[in-house]
Amino acid sequence: MAEKRQMVQIESLEKYFGEDKERVHVLKGISLSIPEGSLYTFLGPSGCGKTTTLRCVAGLERPEGGKISIDGNAVFASGERVYVPTNKRPIGMVFQSYAIWPHMTVFQNVAYPLTIHRRPKSEIKRRVEDVLKVVGLHGLEDRPAPKLSGGQQQRVAFARALVNEPKVLLLDEPLSNLDAKLRVQMRFEIKALQRRINITTIFVTHDQSEALAISDQIAVMHAGKLIEVGTPHQLYSRPTRKFTATFLGLTNLIEGKVIEMGGDSKPGRIETKKGILSFIPATSLGRNQAAVISIRPEHIPVHKEKPQGLDNVVEGTVKEAIFMGDAYHCQIAVGDMLLAVHTHPFLNMSPGEKVYLYLDPQSCNGIPAEDTEGMDESIMGD
Amino acid sequence: MRPFFSSQTLILAGCSLFVLYLAGIPLLMLLYGSFRSAPIGEPGAAYTIQNYVKAYFDREFYLLFWNSLKYAIGTCVISFLIGTYLAWISERTNTPLKKLFMVMSLIPFIIPGILSTIAWILLLSPKIGLINIVVKGLLGLESAPFNIYSMGGMVWAEAIHLYPLVFLLMSAAFRNMDTSLEEAALTAGSSTFTTFRRVTLPLMRPAMFGVMLIMFVRGIEAFEVPALVGVPAKISVFTTKIFLAIHQFPSDFGLAGAYAVTLLLISTVGVLIYQRVTRKEDRYATVTGKGYRPRVIDLGPWKYATCASAFVIFFLAVILPVFVLLWSSFIPYYGIPSAELVAKLTLANYKYILNYPLAVTAFQNSFYLSVGSATLVMLLTSVIAWITVKSKLPGRVFLDNMTFIPIAMPGIVLGVSLIWVYLTLPIPIYGTIWVLLLAYITKFMPYGIRAASASMIQINKELEEASLASGGTWFQTFRKVLLPLLMPGFVAGWIYISIISLRELSTSILLYSYNSTVLSIMAFDLWEGGQYTYVCALGVLMVLLLVAMAYTARKLGAKIGIAE
Repeated sequence: MAEKRQMVQIESLEKYFGEDKERVHVLKGISLSIPEGSLYTFLGPSGCGKTTTLRCVAGLERPEGGKISIDGNAVFASGERVYVPTNKRPIGMVFQSYAIWPHMTVFQNVAYPLTIHRRPKSEIKRRVEDVLKVVGLHGLEDRPAPKLSGGQQQRVAFARALVNEPKVLLLDEPLSNLDAKLRVQMRFEIKALQRRINITTIFVTHDQSEALAISDQIAVMHAGKLIEVGTPHQLYSRPTRKFTATFLGLTNLIEGKVIEMGGDSKPGRIETKKGILSFIPATSLGRNQAAVISIRPEHIPVHKEKPQGLDNVVEGTVKEAIFMGDAYHCQIAVGDMLLAVHTHPFLNMSPGEKVYLYLDPQSCNGIPAEDTEGMDESIMGD
Repeated sequence: MRPFFSSQTLILAGCSLFVLYLAGIPLLMLLYGSFRSAPIGEPGAAYTIQNYVKAYFDREFYLLFWNSLKYAIGTCVISFLIGTYLAWISERTNTPLKKLFMVMSLIPFIIPGILSTIAWILLLSPKIGLINIVVKGLLGLESAPFNIYSMGGMVWAEAIHLYPLVFLLMSAAFRNMDTSLEEAALTAGSSTFTTFRRVTLPLMRPAMFGVMLIMFVRGIEAFEVPALVGVPAKISVFTTKIFLAIHQFPSDFGLAGAYAVTLLLISTVGVLIYQRVTRKEDRYATVTGKGYRPRVIDLGPWKYATCASAFVIFFLAVILPVFVLLWSSFIPYYGIPSAELVAKLTLANYKYILNYPLAVTAFQNSFYLSVGSATLVMLLTSVIAWITVKSKLPGRVFLDNMTFIPIAMPGIVLGVSLIWVYLTLPIPIYGTIWVLLLAYITKFMPYGIRAASASMIQINKELEEASLASGGTWFQTFRKVLLPLLMPGFVAGWIYISIISLRELSTSILLYSYNSTVLSIMAFDLWEGGQYTYVCALGVLMVLLLVAMAYTARKLGAKIGIAE
């Protein structure tokens, strides 16, 4: 694959909030690299540092250490005392509250980046109308801002961020304030827009389904640290960190100790309480290393009778089976473990039934067991 | 990298330094001057504590202190009772015609202190007071029942002028009370009276204490009533003593300085206690923010009595003084209403005033100072409000505190300090209208910053950040985003300051000169010269001007109801 140009580079970003006794370490050495033209998402729970990192790229927060470059030029470098103020960075930003100025019309809001740079009136008119067409607000130029709906305000915010053709588009949870239906619809519009103009975009969200739906790459963050970076598919199917596995979608975690490490095509083997399981290592694991198998509820076929000739089969009893319409969400007790399993709605599952679960080695991800730092140890992730 | 002399740095530094200069220099000069043996600028001056010795060891000092205290406490108590009573029936009972109350309570704000004092002298003077003459006639009394030239009379005149402030503050306090706290007491079984005693009163205590403190500080720095009533009555308080020390010949600046510092100390202590109390008030904060309508007490037939009582108060506070001013402005020589005088109603007084050369100057000066100081204060405090509310600049807390210093400075004390400042510094504005402008800006800064800060806090930070992210400089952001959004607070502050600057007397009286005279000074001079009918005509014109300004202001969509 050809080496893609990196538009934004972040190295070892450190940030503290507060003073003296209330000092909080919010960014602990964040390093990542965003390729040109990609839709790159910062994903994580509240307080993980994703918005802070975005604001550091924008220049609205000043980090205590590290380096940030946009298109090869350093905009912040603590070592060399470089700091380019926000209004000189080649960025466009959409804020969570949209920040549409209530005392201006749609046109004035969108034209602002051009007006303050003293572009000629005819050029402003042309560029504003073009970008309003792109976001689908053509014709609303003279509407006063307070008379816009939430969805319209959001589009104005986008138009304003794009009108000056920035190199990087920064989106701070732009969909959080919309109702569920609009959120889903806008998701795809943003993706389509981004692809069409091919602008490097940083998207911040705590909603993992959103992240999975539109990102080219996702950076998972937690408690100020970067956990893992990958494509949605990689992170969902082959997470290499426990946090990623539990944060993205639901998963089951089975603890054990590695007997055989496994490799490219050969599955590894792990000793667990329910016997020896084969698995695919997501990352390199050493022998005797404490590890955890992650397997998603929708990847566990359920058999009423013990299937023959298969490895990784365990016996269990159905504890709960909740009908969700498109599936049964079941809790199945295997020994003293409780596994979450999603089954086909036609499969009749009733509590107390004895069933057999096939843990397909291809679906078993081997992940290092780590210090959880206060993470929830339960099997069901969120 | 941002250049050192960017517009942002210049504006921020400039405004901050200006504020520090305005607030700090007079204070420093005052302290310095009080320790000098000769007036500033004269040879032979040395450091000395003689001024203080002379002040404190004079037997008169303790009389002054005692009088000032009596006056302040008396004003505080009376205005508090009147104002709180009106606030209570307006906010917590079902007394009818409440909207009218609000309007009538604000009218006294428009009447300058000097005019209301003059009106009360014309009403309650033992010899010529209208009320005295009428009551004497009705009841066939030998001597006048009321004498304004007494401590009681002084307190009455001041309190009846100040109660609207109490009304506004206590109304706000009553409105913010969470009545579910009272309702909880009722459901637990306590009677209305017990609830009032054990729940309402304790909850209102911090607010009440705060309001009383403000009124005490107001009382101790009052000037108009003590000057017009107290001096002839030989009842001296600090403010009049300072005034006389400067106006006697030769001026005793040292003594004035010593007294000024003493007065400053008293009012500063009052203000500090007030700030401490209102900060603790957060514990008692009862605002729920959900728009609870406070529980209204049904007074039954008594509500007519309360309504009537309110109108009696308004009659006394508003109708009577305005009437006597109007009456006196239309008669050729002062006298009580009689058929004979009514026949002689004339516009001669108005003609005199409007043709009086000094009057035109006074009107112009007052108008320019009013508009000028309001505009400059609001512009200045808008920038300061950004620094203290929106920025993370070091020293912003210090700057915030500095803008509030003038609140603790009684007007006359500010006047004394500014005399010294501009006699010493090589800035030739003493005796001109510019020193008055600077004095007004200093004095009204705290009101401006309050209005500006309140508005600034409500502006979402992201609106500012969006401008930066769009490429705007600090100055462009301030001009195109912040200032337009700040307008409601800006306008409200502007209106308030333009009105109170027209009424200002106690600072102007030490700083004015012939060409920089203002309306309130002219009224003072006319009164001292015994020109009763002329001064009333001038007064009526002043009130008309103020009413016109207030009305135009109202039209511009701002409410005058900014509590202190």
